[in-house]
Amino acid sequence: MRIDRAVLDLLSSVRFGIVLLALLFVYMSVGSAGIVYPVHPNVFHPDAWVHAQVRQWRPFEMTEFEWFHWWPFDVLTGLLVANLAVTTVRRIPLRAVNLGVWMIHSGIVLLVVGSVIYFGTKVEGEAPVVRRSVTVGVAAEGAGPGVLGDTASMLAMPGSKLAVGTGADRYDVEVQSIDPSWELRSGDEVGTRAYSVNLLVSGGGRRFMRQVIAGYPQYTEDLVFTDDPKQPMKRAVKETGRPIIDERLFVALDYAPQDSFYLKNDLVKSWALYVRRPGDARWVQRPIDGLPLYNDSVPEPDEVFLSGREDGVGRWIRVPIPAVDPADPAPGIALEATGYIRYAQPRARWVAGGTDDGPNAVATVEVADGDGRSGRYVLVARDPQKRAADGGVLALRQVSDEEQVAAFLRQPTLVFRVPGRGIDQAEAVKDAALADAKAPWRSIGGADSGYAYRVSSVQDDLAMGAREASVAIVELRTPAGEFTRWVFSDPSMSRDLKSGEDPMAAMRRGGESFVDGTVEVEYLPGNGLALALLVAGPEPGRLRLVDSLGRSEARIVDVAPRAPVQMASGIRLTVTEWLPNAVQEAKPLVVPPEQRQRDARELFSMARVGVPDGPQRWLQYHPYVFDRPQDVLRRYWLQPETIDLPDGTRLEVLFSRQRRSLPEVVALDAFELATHVGGFSGQSSSIRNYTSVVRFRAADGTWGDPLRLSVNEPVEHDGLSFFQSQWDPPDEGRGGKGASAGLNYTVLGIGNRNGVWVQLAGCVVACTGMAYAFYVKPAIKRRNRRAVLAEIARAKAEGRQPSFPKHLSESVHA
Amino acid sequence: MRDSSPSPLLSTLASLLAAVCLLAAAPAGAMPQAAPTEAPFHERVDLRPLDRVAVFTEGRLKSFASFANTQMQFVSGPRLIAGQGPDFTYLDLMLVPSAYADADILFVKNKGVRARIAQAALEADPSLGERMKAFERTGLVSERVLGLPTVRPELQAMEGDLIRTAKEMDAIKGALQVKEPQFLLGSLRLLPPGDGSADRPWSSIADIMLLGVDPATLPGSLKDRTVEPLPGIDAARQAALAADWRAFVQAWQQRDADAVNAKVRAIADALPALVPAAYPSADRLSWEGWYFRSGNLSRAWMVFLAATVLLLLALVYRWPWAMKAGMVTFGIAAGIQTFAVLLRWYISGRWPNSNMFEAVTTAAWMGTALALVAELWFLRRTAMRGVVALGAAVTSMVALMAAYLLPVQLNPNISNMMPVLHDVWLYIHTNVIIFSYALIFMAAVSAAAYLAWRATGGGLAYARVGGAGAVAEFAAGAGGTPGAGQAPRASAGEVLDGVTMLLTEVSFVMLWAGIVMGAIWADHSWGRPWGWDPKEVFALNTFVIFALLIHVRWKVRDKGLWTAVLAVAGAAVMLFNWIVINFVISGLHSYA
Repeated sequence: MRIDRAVLDLLSSVRFGIVLLALLFVYMSVGSAGIVYPVHPNVFHPDAWVHAQVRQWRPFEMTEFEWFHWWPFDVLTGLLVANLAVTTVRRIPLRAVNLGVWMIHSGIVLLVVGSVIYFGTKVEGEAPVVRRSVTVGVAAEGAGPGVLGDTASMLAMPGSKLAVGTGADRYDVEVQSIDPSWELRSGDEVGTRAYSVNLLVSGGGRRFMRQVIAGYPQYTEDLVFTDDPKQPMKRAVKETGRPIIDERLFVALDYAPQDSFYLKNDLVKSWALYVRRPGDARWVQRPIDGLPLYNDSVPEPDEVFLSGREDGVGRWIRVPIPAVDPADPAPGIALEATGYIRYAQPRARWVAGGTDDGPNAVATVEVADGDGRSGRYVLVARDPQKRAADGGVLALRQVSDEEQVAAFLRQPTLVFRVPGRGIDQAEAVKDAALADAKAPWRSIGGADSGYAYRVSSVQDDLAMGAREASVAIVELRTPAGEFTRWVFSDPSMSRDLKSGEDPMAAMRRGGESFVDGTVEVEYLPGNGLALALLVAGPEPGRLRLVDSLGRSEARIVDVAPRAPVQMASGIRLTVTEWLPNAVQEAKPLVVPPEQRQRDARELFSMARVGVPDGPQRWLQYHPYVFDRPQDVLRRYWLQPETIDLPDGTRLEVLFSRQRRSLPEVVALDAFELATHVGGFSGQSSSIRNYTSVVRFRAADGTWGDPLRLSVNEPVEHDGLSFFQSQWDPPDEGRGGKGASAGLNYTVLGIGNRNGVWVQLAGCVVACTGMAYAFYVKPAIKRRNRRAVLAEIARAKAEGRQPSFPKHLSESVHA
Repeated sequence: MRDSSPSPLLSTLASLLAAVCLLAAAPAGAMPQAAPTEAPFHERVDLRPLDRVAVFTEGRLKSFASFANTQMQFVSGPRLIAGQGPDFTYLDLMLVPSAYADADILFVKNKGVRARIAQAALEADPSLGERMKAFERTGLVSERVLGLPTVRPELQAMEGDLIRTAKEMDAIKGALQVKEPQFLLGSLRLLPPGDGSADRPWSSIADIMLLGVDPATLPGSLKDRTVEPLPGIDAARQAALAADWRAFVQAWQQRDADAVNAKVRAIADALPALVPAAYPSADRLSWEGWYFRSGNLSRAWMVFLAATVLLLLALVYRWPWAMKAGMVTFGIAAGIQTFAVLLRWYISGRWPNSNMFEAVTTAAWMGTALALVAELWFLRRTAMRGVVALGAAVTSMVALMAAYLLPVQLNPNISNMMPVLHDVWLYIHTNVIIFSYALIFMAAVSAAAYLAWRATGGGLAYARVGGAGAVAEFAAGAGGTPGAGQAPRASAGEVLDGVTMLLTEVSFVMLWAGIVMGAIWADHSWGRPWGWDPKEVFALNTFVIFALLIHVRWKVRDKGLWTAVLAVAGAAVMLFNWIVINFVISGLHSYA
């Protein structure tokens, strides 16, 4: 038999088609659901079986999309198409009765052709688009009105900060709050809701708020601070007669256009390294082809913290990362990825070591009560942020002599002196009701003296530039009126705050420090607010506890590691780990599989990158690449690292995914929520639909008409489809400073869909063929059969041989 | 030193509740016991009037019974506490919390977690042996047990295991939060906004319940609190309602059932009259309450079981009376099932196909409806009579039994749909797919019956003209075995094979059409028609099995056997897609 004949016979074999279908079934099942296999002889035990995703195994390292476009699948599908085509043409005569099967087979072939076009050209990604950016400018010195000197911009996100100007013209501007649905209360648009941004401004010797409303620059106005606790802010127009109190500061809300989108890394691996020279504005990308997605490769175990078994330890990868962009800042230098961790977090731990500039004590403390509740704290003596816990109730201090220890036995005390009246009164701060606006005033020198105080707050060991200081913020009532005094442990720093004055500005200002100089206040911090104060030193390794819990007089006890100290109220304090002199070691912590969020995907990935044979850095994954800290979206981060190049220069590097340019820049005009009954409750269950109102910018710079895209209602533009993908939800259960009402940005899904219509045509043809084959074909066959029987009967009656037309031959045979 | 104080809102609600309890002049927990001959309090209390009361929750207005059912499921899962209805338990937990201080009311679903908790509890208190056995069986445990010093570290350890046990720990924490009286009170959002706006949330009864009370009689923290009537609602009505509520609380705590019943009626009359324009239809609320009290009518599986037995007798022994009785029983069951589907449609305001419970029960109803039409229309005079009905009866019996026995997995509560589901394709794609799934299961029933027939001595038989063609053939009285010629009566094997093919053909076309429709929806919703999502892949795999069935049937000699085997295999793949893929392997279709 000739080989071509054998191949043709094979391709027209129904049995071969059945085998191909069965193989496709197995391939698809294994790729999608994975496999289970026993790991214990007792297969009836529930833990005896393990589930594994084969496509994620180290030799494969494939996403679903990649598994279903791997060559075995392509070969199987190609053979099936060939089998369908050859079998249909060779073995199924094209007659009315067979039209159904012809349609089914040709429909499936058409579907496969459409899929080749579709998946062969598929691009899919997402683009975050922020609602507005804030542009801030300072009027140029000596220039005419409207001429700006220094300008800067930042995204409109709660907590965003920037500074413009220098010296006395410096303005610090922070986004204090955003109301995405602010109701206009005046003008023709009264009742209209708009996006409103409140900025806290410190500059020009003032501290005030400026409100800017998107689309309504004419309603920009300032708010000033008042002393009235019932109305802490007041519209400037009511206070000064002018809506703007500082005309030199210009603020505007502009679109925050997005010019690119990020490829979906979980669809097809699309890792990228972004590089730039320190100080450069824009990142340049280098695609990383070949970096794994699921399996760890940790070349050096010492470089990571391990919390369990890790099968990637000791494994090396070498994935070159060449420059491909002409704008690459180091075109001649190939970098390489030498490690990868699927799920890790940058973590810093304290280890025994030490610094040259004195000991740094670190204690891990466990505090438990009699009911079994407990808390664990790591205290760092030389870090003002970490030396205290639980609001200062627990603290660790390093001392250099016994005098300091003795000082810690004293309670924090305020000493009030009014020399003119002979008043000299010491008051223990711990007895005062802190930060209570309704706390009663406490008299100084008797009820009739005319002097009284109450304590707003106490903050110990504030970092004040190069030095540290403790401060008690005290409200004073004197014959000169009521005012606030910041009383520092260093009396030279103490001063009174004028109404509405920024504390930082007050610290900077010169001139008279006190509203009423007749009263002197001294703050002796003692053991501060700490009820349990651990004291390290002065001898190396010595640790003591100053215990003030439930005691009028503090006691001091020696503390040994892991030996519990019993305190009042059943509280037990144990120093579980004690490092008299420690240094911090930062490494990726490989998170154990059982502690990984299942839907985190590659969010916590890290890659080890460096120059070949040079030092390597572990880089944290960035879902999006931001140029500046002012451009960072809420919930995301910008943590670039630097790499020293062989030529002595440096590169900033950032690990992310590839991005592509959009044909036209897109901006977010508005973001709307449609809700169920009761309105938006903060819970996603109350939302019925999300709508992004977007605009595209043409090549000539003009913005197009607003387009509404929402869930199930995409927008087609310039060959790409834009979908509603994610949104910016409000902070749940959190209010106050920095809390966000959400709706500041949207994330658009973006993709092409070449070949979709061919796929659809194939599906419809196949579906029609199925209906025909199952419901029309039987009717045709019955009709034919009746015709054959009738011809047989006729021929018998006429005594002749029956004769049948060709299309009835099958029925005759039946 | 850790701050464990509750949030200010909850503290306020707790104070309010305490105040009402104080006003009720019966300390919580000091309950008069019913006389020995008297029925228990929960049986003497009639809460049905509260079915007319709407509660605002998660963007929906539910009847109180439906709302309480949802909330109590967070606490005690599918279990009833001491035989009490969820609505009674809700109120009792809120008003007499001390009665539940060490009661086993918290449901733990995972049996492995139960075992670990039980073991830890026994270490601390060996006398808990019997209770822990009961806990491992029912899943119900008390807060006190969870707070034992040996149990707490175990719970903490399980909280850190995100893959295996953290979800269960979240559920336990949720249960502990929901059962708190202040949470239950705050959740009772019974008062519509005064302007009738649909965009504003409803207010809790806690907001007005102290109206008309002299502040001097209130506990310390509430003395400064000014209680104002809600704007836009008649103040006198609010004051009267508040007085009724306080009297209701008092009567409840005194276990005075008659007074409770009187106040329940008064409250149920007063609430809809506050802002009639904002209030949902009383009929709708009442039916919703009835629907949940009636267990979603899922007990109809017993009627389907009876129909199954009768139709099987008719098939095996060819008893005409069994066929008649089976068809009548099947018709009754179909009527109940149709009523349940229509009622749920009316209550929820949308066709029921947007969660697992609805997909399973509606799919089963579709199979029943098709069987009824087919049996009455074109199968009545054929040898296939009763077999399609048998397939539908088994399908519906299994579906409703699952809904009845697995309320955690098939949660019957009505909630809002995710935004992505608000699309006409939900109704087109989902219904076509679930209809095909029902038909696949029905085909598997007849295929299984065929295999049983073969196993009990049936010969090599198949319907010569399969599928739709077989209906006409059987109607004409023709058999199917090759060479048998014009058989006056088809064998059971031929009939069963014919039915399998009839159902397989329909499901084959519908499954393909459903997959294509899903791709069209996915194209405009997710940006790609096909994403190789596990749910998509296994729908395609199910189709591949049936494609194999059709081609294998064409090539093999023992067509009936291979058809039956592959029809059962197809149903297994379909069930794998619906159960394993949904519950074990996550994907884009996690809500389906």
